[in-house]
Amino acid sequence: MTPAELTAATTGRDLRVPFGVALVALACAAPLFLGNYPLHAMIIALIFLLPAHGLNLLLGYTGLLSLAQAAFFGIGAYTSALLAVHFGTPFYVNFLAAGLMAGAIALPLGIPALRLRATSFVMCTLGFVIIGQAIAKNWITLTRGDMGLAAIPKPWFALGPASFTVSGTVGFYYLVLAIAAIATLVAYLIVRSPAGRNMIAIRENETLAESVGIPTWHYKLVVFMISAAFAGLGGSLYAHYLTVVSPLTFQMYYSTTMLIIVLGGGAGTISGVIFGSLLFVGLTEALRVAPELRMIAYGFFLLGLVFWFPSGFAPLIGRFWSFLERRK
Amino acid sequence: MFYTITEQVVNGIVSGSVYAIVAVGMTMIFGVLRAINFAHGEYYMLGTFGAWFAIDYFDLPYPVALVIGVIATAVIAVVVGNFVMQRIVGAPAEAGVLATLGVALILQNTVILLFGGSYKFFSGGYIEPVSVFGFTLAEQRILIIIVGLVTFVGLELMVTYSRMGKAMRAVSQNIECCAVVGIDVRHIALWTFIIGACLAALSGVLTAPVNVSVYGGMGELITFKTLPIIIMGGLGNVRGTFVAAMILGIAESLVATYVGLQFRDTVGFATLMLVLMWRPHGLFSAQARF
Repeated sequence: MTPAELTAATTGRDLRVPFGVALVALACAAPLFLGNYPLHAMIIALIFLLPAHGLNLLLGYTGLLSLAQAAFFGIGAYTSALLAVHFGTPFYVNFLAAGLMAGAIALPLGIPALRLRATSFVMCTLGFVIIGQAIAKNWITLTRGDMGLAAIPKPWFALGPASFTVSGTVGFYYLVLAIAAIATLVAYLIVRSPAGRNMIAIRENETLAESVGIPTWHYKLVVFMISAAFAGLGGSLYAHYLTVVSPLTFQMYYSTTMLIIVLGGGAGTISGVIFGSLLFVGLTEALRVAPELRMIAYGFFLLGLVFWFPSGFAPLIGRFWSFLERRK
Repeated sequence: MFYTITEQVVNGIVSGSVYAIVAVGMTMIFGVLRAINFAHGEYYMLGTFGAWFAIDYFDLPYPVALVIGVIATAVIAVVVGNFVMQRIVGAPAEAGVLATLGVALILQNTVILLFGGSYKFFSGGYIEPVSVFGFTLAEQRILIIIVGLVTFVGLELMVTYSRMGKAMRAVSQNIECCAVVGIDVRHIALWTFIIGACLAALSGVLTAPVNVSVYGGMGELITFKTLPIIIMGGLGNVRGTFVAAMILGIAESLVATYVGLQFRDTVGFATLMLVLMWRPHGLFSAQARF
């Protein structure tokens, strides 16, 4: 039991449940009071939440720093876009195919990469992004190169004879909100399962974990694939939301963004990642001036994170939390 | 046919020398600080911009511009070294990656903010072609090869014989023991970083007349090219880095000629992955040091 649960059990007061309910209610009601632009920002935050959950499983729980999220994000986006443009398949088919494709490609990439030690592993995962971008640029018969794929249809669903299309910002917001909620639940279940505890054991001490019989190699490979699948699903949503994909989807920028979300929120916690993606949107919104100024601010943000908040901003909330509970 | 291959190899040696001068600084920084410097290419960019600024705004001759570019970069490196790099010593690997990514974003975008994001024309340098052993080469390319060799020999001598070089090697082997025997680790870290940044700047100014265009995002490309080199060379290994840089330079120029120009920038990481599958610790290291 976590300290908060313990408090709840002994005193009957757990603030987390009412707070969680309030947050969900607020998220559901957001279109009522948010304008079009803030709602767009929320959609981006929720889309980025998926690859961030994936990275959190890998970095926060298993202790592997990977820069490959952008590569799998791009693979998911292209898979979804190609299916939608060439075969006109419904959204849920594209979406699941994107996740499966990213997860499947992660297997042959993960086998050599995971054999490497820390620094070489980071470089190898960065290489996936660079090579992914080169393939997207040069496999012109499939990806149309730098022109990218345009006119990706808005998500549409077919249930028997009936079909409907999710169009408009509000509709898309609810679609993404539902998917992000499910993804959060899945991540939570993984982390809370015995497998999640084994992942933490690998993060804390790989040799020791191996010695008590945890198949560390298989764990790392499977978590790498799950994390890639999460990124692929996020890429699919991104492609259907923007209706365009280009080789720029394979960009270091997205890997950096995911790192900022996970480490800014607090790696190794689910609530931290949610907080991180909201924080990231807040930061982007606060810095809507010049793109260069925004990048400079990201830079200072990263430095501040490293030197003053090495475990992210989520512990601050935790402290605020126990402060509230003590006062009651 | 034979002539083309040889010509491409010579071109490859020129770009290999450019990469070597940048990468050797980066690998030394890794050896001492244990941090991959994602901002390393930005010092290449800063040097180039410094020289371009001196030529374009003040009409100074190229050699003076070269000195100004390197000195300007050194000043910035002192600031970054004091406020960021010194604090990375002994921190976990993520800290180094994130902090240097942050520095890269700050430096790159500050330059774009000050000078605009457009391509600028670099007008200095010695671009007259001369004939050497039957090859026609721009004088600047010969200068690059010579400077590359001088840097290599100079660094080897410094690392082997000078007090500073010996201290650097000691720090890269064991930080705690250095502190115990009275080596000022933070001081060594700062100086290694400044030397590395200046070498990157030097390489940038030397290449500018060949590449002609100068722009704010140029550093990122160089970072991505030197990263595979330092891993292949074995992190912290100066000689290995030189060999890896030459291999990559030659491979790039052959791929650009015979496979396609668009694949040139992918050669580094593709080679890196093949090498790592075969030798996970780099080409020249017998076992993992890091």
